Amino acid sequence: MPVVELAGVTKAYENKVAVRNLSLSIDSGQMFGLLGPNGAGKTSSIRMMMGITIPDSGRVSLFGKPFERASLDRVGYLPEERGLYKKMKVIDQLVFFGQLHGLVAEESRKRATDWARRMEIADSLNKKTQELSKGMQQKIQFIASLLHDPGLIVMDEPFSGLDPVNAALVERTLLELKGQGKAILFSTHRMDQVEKLCDSICLINNGEAVLAGKVREIKASYERNRVVVEFEGSAEFLKSAEIAEAENFTGHAEIKLKEHGDAQRLLHEAAAVATIYRFELVEPSLEEIFIQTVGGNVHA
Amino acid sequence: MRNMLLIAKREYLEQIRGRAFKFSTVLVPGLIAVMLGASYFTGHNAAAGKHIALASDSVPLANVVRSQMLKDKDARFTVDVVAPATPEDRAALLKLVQSKAVDGLLSIQTSPSGPPVATYTSQSSGDFITKDQLETALNRGLVSERLTAAGIKQGDADALMKEVTIETLQINKQGNAAKSNGMAAFYKAFALAFLLTIPILLYGMDMARSIIEEKSSRVFEVMLSVARADDLLTGKLIGVGAVGLTQIAIWVVAAALVTGSALAAPLLSGDFALHFSLAEGLLFPVYFVLGFFLYSAFFSGLAATCETAQELQMYMPLAVVPVWLSFGIIPFLLNNPNSVWAIVASLFPPTAAFVMLPRMGMETPPIWQFAASIGLLVLSIWGVLWVSSRLYRVGILMYGKRATLPELLRWLRYS
Repeated sequence: MPVVELAGVTKAYENKVAVRNLSLSIDSGQMFGLLGPNGAGKTSSIRMMMGITIPDSGRVSLFGKPFERASLDRVGYLPEERGLYKKMKVIDQLVFFGQLHGLVAEESRKRATDWARRMEIADSLNKKTQELSKGMQQKIQFIASLLHDPGLIVMDEPFSGLDPVNAALVERTLLELKGQGKAILFSTHRMDQVEKLCDSICLINNGEAVLAGKVREIKASYERNRVVVEFEGSAEFLKSAEIAEAENFTGHAEIKLKEHGDAQRLLHEAAAVATIYRFELVEPSLEEIFIQTVGGNVHA
Repeated sequence: MRNMLLIAKREYLEQIRGRAFKFSTVLVPGLIAVMLGASYFTGHNAAAGKHIALASDSVPLANVVRSQMLKDKDARFTVDVVAPATPEDRAALLKLVQSKAVDGLLSIQTSPSGPPVATYTSQSSGDFITKDQLETALNRGLVSERLTAAGIKQGDADALMKEVTIETLQINKQGNAAKSNGMAAFYKAFALAFLLTIPILLYGMDMARSIIEEKSSRVFEVMLSVARADDLLTGKLIGVGAVGLTQIAIWVVAAALVTGSALAAPLLSGDFALHFSLAEGLLFPVYFVLGFFLYSAFFSGLAATCETAQELQMYMPLAVVPVWLSFGIIPFLLNNPNSVWAIVASLFPPTAAFVMLPRMGMETPPIWQFAASIGLLVLSIWGVLWVSSRLYRVGILMYGKRATLPELLRWLRYS
């Protein structure tokens, strides 16, 4: 049973269709990446999942049931734009959000303190939110979305504003939560994080899903048309008819083959003029897939 | 419901702990006390202690007028008499007025064919209080002089001219009459109007400002994922309204303690002897809550359509005009609390909360008028909430610019 399911969901604002006939589903224990360029419809899709806006057509289901507000008590949400009460103390704020999700005050306070320790912000619990840095506020918002131990975690750009150390801390935490069987959906522009964390993705552009599925399968479905060569000798082979683009970094070349370019022929040509230490045919990165797909040059 | 109450509780606690609450709790009664005090001292002391030169061609008339002027204990005049006065004397006295050596010159010129002609020259053109006091002294002096000229002894003349004051009584529905004081009723009406207007507008605007603040901090996005927009708005209204009631309760308790003290006894006597009935005490929170809900709900809807507090400012006249109207009508309530305008203003929802209680201080209106004004207020609140919650629902997620009127109408249709 999927934890969250969107079936043929469409949402239009005045003259613009934000989301068109979008379908996706996420199971428990799955990390799902919602990708797309700015204005593609990611936030609109997430808002419909959270009941903030209502789809014009299609169906949203949470925990196997048609959307109902009561189900939101089992959902943790981190919005794209951070929303905290600036003049409130951090601990009061966390207790308040916990209570809104159905916790009693004492339990909410206890969990907030535990999470603050875990996210390394225990010293800031008695400070006002406005006194904290953007990254610290981001971690508070992160905690606020997890206090009630949700089964589904929805995070819109969870890594924005975080330094590498804190981004790694959030990554680890998300992986732990995934290990506990939580369903996690997040949107991001950081493709390296998607490759590292996500099991499945949905790439949307202009409100429509243009690519969806398991990361492994998507990458495997793309032609391996990139070659990394480490060599010594002449670089003449980089002018081969099999090559579309090549970058030479003195003995290390990154090559993109032409469509249906022959890697074996290129290897022969290279070996004829240089000593080859490494010749590796690599699959495209998600970033390349993203750019190709959104740019309309799908090479599936 | 649970989340609505949690939101109300958060609003209440955050506001009560805030500096603005503590500041306004002290400032508003202070402001009212200063205004009432200023009004009291202006009324009693504006023309007090003036130094007047009195010039007349008639010595007996000058003396009798001087005597009457000195009898006026409120005025506390110092009077210099020049009589019989020549034109040169008058010119010299005018120079004294010009150089501010004296405050004014009362010049009385008798006439064989008619009443004397009197002029008062001072540097202040609008000193009507002194003019009234001088006129009273002059007329009483003239009557006294005429009586003695007719052969009546001075003592008898004084007895004939002894003043009588009218005591005002107010009769209630049961036919019982009790002493009343017009000025006290006037001050009471203004005190009630202030006590209702200032917190209602203060908290209405505060509510609107906090919505804009929360909209710009994007906290609504999180809140809407756990609570419905209607719960958010109603919770906020309840929380802020409770803050207002708490503040008023503090004022009432503080006022009771102050008025009960020996220190306040001389201040709160006469015109300032303000008495509030049980019905007024019960109706005050009712009209406060209704007025607060009406204005706050109205401003909340508008605030959700704005991006900044400056944008909200342009809607301010919509609140200020009913308040002006309400204060403008209070003096007329004194003369005729049952005039058509008084009835309309105490039933018309935007002014009802500000006018009904001050009007009640003059004369208790019929029960049907209370019922009608409360009923109309409740209906208006329902209507305003209906519109505002729709604007609120859409507006709090709209960023970038203030919504235009056609956009607002579209939101109403589609939300």
